[in-house]
Formats: sequence, C-alpha cells, structure tokens
Amino acid sequence: MNTTLNATTEQLHLGAMGKKFTGVGVTLAVIGVGGTLALASSAGAETFWRAYLFAVSAAFAICLGGLFFTILQHIVRAGWSVTVRRTAEGLAANLKWMWILLVPMIVLVWGGNGHLLYEWADTDLVAHDYLLQKKAAYLNPTFWCIRMIAYGAIWAVLAKFFVGHSIAQDADGNVSRSSAMQMLAPIGIVLYALTQTFAAIDWIMSLQPTWFSTMFGVYYFAVSCTGCFATMIILLAVLKNGGKLGNAVNTEHFHDLGKMLFAFGVVFWAYIGFSQYMLIWYANIPVETGWFFPRQMGEYFYVSWILIIGHFMLPFVVLVSRWPKRFPGVIAAIATWMVLMFLVDVYWLVMPVVPTDALINSETNDALVAAVEAGEVSIGWNPHLIQLTAIAGVLGLVLAGWAFALRRCSLVPVRDPRLPEALAFENL
Amino acid sequence: MTTLPVDNPMNVDESPDTRAPLIIGHESFDTVTAEICRVNEAKKPPRAWYIAMAMSVSLLGLLGCMVGYLIFTGVGVWGNNNPVMWGFPIVNFVFWVGIGHAGTLISAILFLFRQKWRTSINRFAEAMTIFAVICAGLFPGIHIGRVWLAYWLFPIPNQMDMWPQFRSPLLWDVFAVSTYFTVSLLFWYVGLIPDLATLRDRATSKIKAFSYGLFSLGWRGSMRHWHRYERAYLLLAALATPLVLSVHSVVSFDFAVSQLPGWHTTIFPPYFVAGAIFSGFAMVLTLAIPARELWGLKNFITLRHLENMAKIVLLTGSMVGYAYGMEFFIAWYSGELYESFAFVNRAFGQYAWAYWIMVSCNVITPQIFWFKACRRNIWVLFVASLFVNIGMWFERFVITVTSLAQDFLPSSWGWYEPTWVDFVTFLGSFGLFMTLFLLFIRYLPVLAIAEIKAIMPAADPHAHDHDEEAHE
Repeated sequence: MNTTLNATTEQLHLGAMGKKFTGVGVTLAVIGVGGTLALASSAGAETFWRAYLFAVSAAFAICLGGLFFTILQHIVRAGWSVTVRRTAEGLAANLKWMWILLVPMIVLVWGGNGHLLYEWADTDLVAHDYLLQKKAAYLNPTFWCIRMIAYGAIWAVLAKFFVGHSIAQDADGNVSRSSAMQMLAPIGIVLYALTQTFAAIDWIMSLQPTWFSTMFGVYYFAVSCTGCFATMIILLAVLKNGGKLGNAVNTEHFHDLGKMLFAFGVVFWAYIGFSQYMLIWYANIPVETGWFFPRQMGEYFYVSWILIIGHFMLPFVVLVSRWPKRFPGVIAAIATWMVLMFLVDVYWLVMPVVPTDALINSETNDALVAAVEAGEVSIGWNPHLIQLTAIAGVLGLVLAGWAFALRRCSLVPVRDPRLPEALAFENL
Repeated sequence: MTTLPVDNPMNVDESPDTRAPLIIGHESFDTVTAEICRVNEAKKPPRAWYIAMAMSVSLLGLLGCMVGYLIFTGVGVWGNNNPVMWGFPIVNFVFWVGIGHAGTLISAILFLFRQKWRTSINRFAEAMTIFAVICAGLFPGIHIGRVWLAYWLFPIPNQMDMWPQFRSPLLWDVFAVSTYFTVSLLFWYVGLIPDLATLRDRATSKIKAFSYGLFSLGWRGSMRHWHRYERAYLLLAALATPLVLSVHSVVSFDFAVSQLPGWHTTIFPPYFVAGAIFSGFAMVLTLAIPARELWGLKNFITLRHLENMAKIVLLTGSMVGYAYGMEFFIAWYSGELYESFAFVNRAFGQYAWAYWIMVSCNVITPQIFWFKACRRNIWVLFVASLFVNIGMWFERFVITVTSLAQDFLPSSWGWYEPTWVDFVTFLGSFGLFMTLFLLFIRYLPVLAIAEIKAIMPAADPHAHDHDEEAHE
C-alpha cells in the first residue's frame, strides 16, 4: 500500500496541457458563440432563446454537479476522493463567473420581452388566463429576475469558498481549512439543494406554466449528477492519457467514479424519472399529462425512447459489471456516451412545449393529437443548427473556465490531510 | 497521520488529519469476542431485561386478544369508516415498514459506501428491520376481513381462475414487502453464521452447542468459507440496496397513484424513502441507547456512532422537511383549488393538531442536531429519537386520514376517530416487536463480532508497514 505521492511537479500541473484545454475551449466557444449570434437573426428570437436556455441549463447542471460533489466530500469526510476532488472543484469554479450567462436572460425578462421564452411573461396571455394570474405572485418578471440574481450570487459565493480554501491549502497545508470546509459544508448543501430546486423550476418547469411536479427539482439534481460525473471521468482520463497525475489517480478512482455514475447518473436518474412518469401516467390528470404529451408525440417519441434505452438500459447493463469501470479507456468511452445522453436529456426537458392555449382549449386528447398532426399546434420540435452552436459555445466556455481555474494550482489537493487515504485506497 | 489513543473515552473528536478509532478499549480479537459474547453467556440477563420482557409479553398478549376479538367480531370494531376506509391499519403498516428501513440501509448501502462504523450497529439494526417488517405485515393481514383467506393476497393459480388485481399498488406491496423481508432475513442470517459458530465453539452446554451448531451450518472459518462468505455478503448487499429504495417507493405508490389531493404528488417515492430511513434510524437510537448501557457495549457503540446516527437523522429529517415544503409550494403553485385546500386543511383544519405534531417532531426536532452538544448528549439523543418516532407515526396519520376525510365534495366529508381497539392493537404491536427484539438480544450475538474484528487496526494487513495509516 503506497501512501506517498509519486508525481513530478509537471505531472501535477496542467502546464502546456492547460493551453491545449484552453485552446479547445476557446475555439469551441468562439465558433459556438459566433455561430449562435450569426444564426440568431435567421433562426428567430424564440428559437434563439430556447437554444440559449438549453445550453445554459446543461452547463449549469455540469458545474452545479461539481459543486455538489465537492461539498459532499467534505460533509462525509471522504478519503478516497481527495485526488479527484480538484477536477470537480475546477468545474465548480466556473460558477464564479457563470452568473454572466444569466444576465442576458435577466435583461430579456426584465426588459419585458420574457414572452419570447416564457408564456407566464406574456402580459396579454396572463390577462386572459385565470391559472397564470393565480401563479403570478411567483411567476412574474421582477421576482424571477431577483431569484436569478440570488442563485448566481449564492453559487458564486459557495464556489469561491470551497474552491478557494482547497487551493489555498495547497500552499499553506493548513488543516484548519479542512475543518472550516467541513463545518460549513452542511449549510452549503442546504443552500445548494434549495437554489438548485428552484432554479430547475424557474428555468425549465415554468416553460409550461400550467404544469407542476414536486419531483422536478430532484430530477434536475439527477440530471446534474449524470453530467458532472461523466464529465469528471472524461477530464481525468484525458489528463491521465496526457501523462499527468502520476499515481494520484489510478484504476481505483476510475472504478469509484464509475460507481457514482452508475448509481446516481444511471439508476437514480431512472428511478426519479420513472417515478415521476409513472405517477402522472397512472393518475392521468390532464393538467399533469400535458407535460408528457409532447414528449410522446411525433419525433419526441423517439427521443424519449433514446433516453430510456441509451440513458438507462444500455449503461445499466454495461456499468453493472466490475471490469468496464476499471479501464480508464473504457469508462471514458462510456462517460462520453453518458454526456451525450445527458445533453439529449436536457434537450428533452427544455425543447418540447405545447402552448397553454392549445392544452386548455382542446376538448379531448384525441382532438389535441389531431391538431398536432395537422400542424395547427406546435409541440416545439425544431432542430436547428443554433442549438448545436449554443451548446458548443457554452461547453467550450466551461472547458476553458475549468482549465483557467486550474491553470496555476496543482491538479490534486497535494496537502489535503486525507491525501494518503486516497493514494492508499483499493477496491477489494 | 496519527491515531487517537485507544482509550479516548469520547471517541468523537476527529481532526481532518486523524481518524478516530471505530471501537475503543480493545487491542486484540479475543477480548472483543469475550465482551460481546458476555451478553449471551451471562447466567442471567440484567433485571431490566426481565421487566422489559414482562411488559412486552403482556402487550403481545393484548395484541393476541385484540386480533382474536377482531376476527370473531369483524373490522367494525375499528374506527375505519366511509370515507376513511383506511385508518390505523395502513398507518401502522407504513409506520412499521418505515422503521424496517434502517437495518438494510446500514447493512447494504453503508456497506457499499465503505462506512466502517456501521459494523457496531448493523446486527441489531438488521434484527430490528426483520421484526418491524413482521409487525408491518400483521396489519394488512388482519385488515382484509376474512383472515383465513389471507393467502389470496398472493397470485396463486386456482380453479376459480381468480387473481389479485395486478394493476393495484397493494399487490405490488405484497411483492415488494415479501421480497424485502426475504432478502433482509437472508442477509441477516448470512452475517450471523460466523458469529453463531463462535457461540457454538464457546458453548458450555450440549443444548447450546447443538443449537448454535445447527444454525452455523458447519462453519469452520477456513479460508474457503471466508471467501464464499464475503462474496455472498457483497452480492446480498448489492441486491438489498435497490430494495431499500423500492419497498417504500411502492408503499408510497399505494397513495400516490390515486387522484386524491395530498396523495397524488410525484415526490412521494423518494420522500417516503427518506422518511423511512429517518424513522428507522430514530428507532435504532431508541433501542441502542438503553442496550449499550445495560449490556456494557459502550466500547463498541461509542458516542461517535450515536453522533453519526444523529447526523443521518438530521439529514433525512431535513429531506422530509424539504418534501413537506415542496408539497406545500407546489400545491399553491399548481393553482389547483383542491390541491391547495388539501394542504391548507392539513395545517389549519380539523386535524391541524396532528399536522403540527408531525412538523414539530419531524422537522423542528432534528434541527437540534446541528449542534454538537445535542448530538453528544445521550439524553437529548434519546428523547429526540422518541419524538421522531412519534412524529413519523403522525406523518402517516396525517397523510392517510386528512386526505380521505375531506376530499372533493363537502357532502362526502367525514371525521375519523380511532376506537380503543385501534389503540390497543397498535400498542400490542410494540409488544410483538419488543418481545422478538429482547429474545434476539438474549440468544443471538447482538453485535457482528466477525465484522467488528475486520475493522480493527489489528486486522489491517499493512498495519505494521505503515503504522500511521492503520485507521485507513
């Protein structure tokens, strides 16, 4: 059992590799953001904003997952994860600037054009809709913008605290930093749980303002677990492949991250998704089934099946065995697949929407189906290049931000008091 | 890294660069064996055991009388009425099933999470699980009216070609609970085998040697035995893990698949699971605190174990609080008249007292565990655990009764009042639970001897190469 860190300074720093990461990230970001802006006028404002929301929801899911992982390790005083924690911290560090991504949406909603994205921000519609009026105390532009500012600020503060102390500990090796993080982690997780829940409601659930599900915050949490754990595995595999990290991250850590991906990103996700669907399907109350209606129609029908098979069944069968998790190449390939599925999932959450008018005014389900088939009612199926450029741009920013956050510090918390445990750790 | 001295009486203060020992006061394996086996090998149990046993058996007798009275008279002896068709029986069923969750969580999920402190509490938490599920199974069994036809709950091929309703979550419950019971029992038994062999080897009478020998299945402690044992244990842990989630999820479906306001809400499955773990850990605390005092197990169930459990109680209690809050928020957000009414009525209607007992016991009480002083005070822990048990019973009462008593049409509203038979039957179920539990403490190894040895520094093959990390 080896408890000493066998890695050169070069192996423990991004160095030249950081430039590559930044290069790829910035290139993606420039192409993505540039492409999105170029396509914006031809795609139309509504398509642009929906694509923007899709990209933002996905990027936040990954980085919030990183924040969750970091805080969780302090709460449970984990030993095994010390060497992989910095990777998650790099993702969480993005939250320090990602509030900027919320600014355009705040400007949009505050400026009175929120109806391009959200029906509840459409004053004409609200004036005629009893339900939307009842919800207006929560779903109104002012309060929505205040909430966005609050989320952005809380996440930035949490990220600054947990990432900052961890990186500072590399230099001073001060054990009291670990104690401080341990002490505040429970409060951090409470803040995280509440903000993440309401962010999911505000960004995504309120797209179809008549619909509601108490499970929705938990679902977005499961989504962010998938995105974050898969991203962490890919980043670590790339680092490892580039000769970084020495003995700090080994088969055992990939194995354990694979278990996390399996448990939270595959099984827990499926459990939450199934429970939400099954209860709504079984009770069959129109106001609730309205959300699943477009997701079982037209092209989205196939997207739903892609999720069931590609996000649950296939990865379940593959990841349940021990060996795929123990080969960095194999687990990285699976993680890449899971990131793809994660993006499909966010797309599936954000894109399909039936206008409230159509939902309320259809006499029967069959009438609504007929109206959709006749093309009178849109279910939001609108694949457009701008969605690709938006997600590429934002993920490029996340990657560049990750590399920027880790540009000077070590890739492993080298003076974390529990580092020897992570090095000695074995899956027996 | 350095380790704390082994005789550190508190065993709770752990700075980030140390790991506190998991058990205290023992350097070698044989003192561990001796200290745990003392519970079973003592000539007489402590006087408190006799008093508790007398009370438990009396309550068990009362339960028998009540069940007999019920069978001879009919379900009318209960307070169940129209519209509250489900009264105490379902409330008690869910209460007991919930308690039955901690054992498997500790033995399976904490095992997979490598939480080694679990070894000091897993054995009796698992035992508690099994006894709680037995108590739970009793209530639907006697609620069906004609108890002699209870086997109709199972889809048994028959010449009348009559089948249970496969679309009913009540039938899924039959499958979920019986699977859970079977796997928990197997898990418990597999874990017991090496320890039963220990008791067999130490037995002083032929009867003891024979009976422990019979159930230890010829265990000799050979390498091959251990190898198979560990594999079986890991596989059972992996099988039991989804069951921890599935059982209470299915129990929550009993309510949530309906269209009834207050029952039909999508967060029910994880919310019920969190609540179950919450109540289960509270019951483990309620039982562990007196047990460690009476049988001198404080070296094994240290203050740190109790503190860890308090933290889990705080976590799951807050999750339950999150669910209450989310239900309330969404009931308002939905804009649905009946949804909002159901929740406002819970808080301010005719059953408001039950609702506020629930909130104060389940959400407010655990918040004291934010403070170290409360987590480390035995009396506070014990009283809080009782409050949580009470609160979780009331949670099921609130969910079941308020939603049924007042739903859509005011003309069909009603008022539910349990009868004395309801109360005494519920009280009697504690007799069943405690009788089984006390017998377990007396005759079976109350802590997992072999597993505790495995987490001692002496069991670490590298302990001598790297002394500083003996407590990995």
